[in-house]
Amino acid sequence: MIRAWWTNLRQRCRTCSRVTLGAGVLLLTVVIGGVLLAAGAAGLAWTNTLEFCTGCHEMRDNVYAEFKGSIHDLNRSGVRAVCADCHVPREPVPMLWRKVKASLEVWGHLTGKIDTKEKFEQHRYQLAKNVWTAMIRNDSHECRNCHKADSMSSELQTEKARARHAKARAENVTCIMCHFGIAHREPDGPGPQELKLAK
Amino acid sequence: MKVSPLMIGLCGALAWSLASAQSVDVSAAEALAKKSGCTKCHSVSAKKEGPSFKATAEKYKGKPDAEATLFRHLTTNPKVKVDGKEELHDSPKTKNEAEIKNLIQYILSR
Repeated sequence: MIRAWWTNLRQRCRTCSRVTLGAGVLLLTVVIGGVLLAAGAAGLAWTNTLEFCTGCHEMRDNVYAEFKGSIHDLNRSGVRAVCADCHVPREPVPMLWRKVKASLEVWGHLTGKIDTKEKFEQHRYQLAKNVWTAMIRNDSHECRNCHKADSMSSELQTEKARARHAKARAENVTCIMCHFGIAHREPDGPGPQELKLAK
Repeated sequence: MKVSPLMIGLCGALAWSLASAQSVDVSAAEALAKKSGCTKCHSVSAKKEGPSFKATAEKYKGKPDAEATLFRHLTTNPKVKVDGKEELHDSPKTKNEAEIKNLIQYILSR
C-alpha cells in the first residue's frame, strides 16, 4: 500500500528528486506528528484543570463545594492542590491509565448515577473507598508529590505530629490511613485503617 | 383522658432530645473540629488514634451528665493515653462556650 502511494506521489511530482520528495514527506510527517502530540498534551493538560473537573454539577455541587475552604484550597502560604493534584498521577503512563478509567466514569454521568444529592450520598462511601484503596495501594503517591517525607522537618512539627509520623514510618503506615476526610466530607463507615484489601 | 406522669416525662425527654438534635449547627461544629485539629486524632465513624465521634456518642448515650463531662474534657486539657503514652488533650480553638457546646452536641448526635 505504501509502495503504491509512493509511486503515485512520484508520478504526480515528476520534477522532484527521490531525496527531495522523501525529505518533504518526512518533514510533513514530523510537523503533523508534532501538532497531534502538542494537541494531545494540551488536551490532557486541560482535563487536569479545576475548570474541567468541576464542569459537571455532580463534582461542582458535592466534592468541590466541600473542598472549598479546606486546607488544600485556602491556607496561609497560598499553595493550592486542586482535584488533579490528588487524584491524577503526574507520570505519563499512570496518568493516561487514570484518564481511561475516568472516561468510564463519564458513563455514570450520562446515566445519572450520582446526579442528585441523595444519589451522591448513597454512593459517597463507595467513592471514598475507591480513592482510599488506590492510595493505600500506591503508598499515597499523589500526597507524596508535594509532601516529601525527607523534607519534613520533625523539629518544626508539634510533639504529637512527630510521634505519630515516627510511628507511621516504623509501621509502614501510608498517609491516607490517617489523613482522610481532609478535602471532602468523611463518609459514614469503616475508614482506611479498617479496610481489608486483597493483596 | 388521664395523662400519667410517666407519659409527661417521656414526652418531655423526647421534646428535649429533638430540640437539642435540631439546634446543632453541623457546619459550624465541623468547621470548629477541623480548625481545632480534632480530626487529626478523631474521625466521625472510622478508626483513628482517638475514639470516633460515633463511639463517644454511643458511650454517653442516655447519660444526663454527658455534655458536662465532655465540656470538662474539652476545656481542661486532661491527660489522655495514646499508644500507651500520656499526652495532653487539646482544647477547641475558641473561647466561646456556645460554640464548644455546639461541638459537643454535634459529637453526641452522631
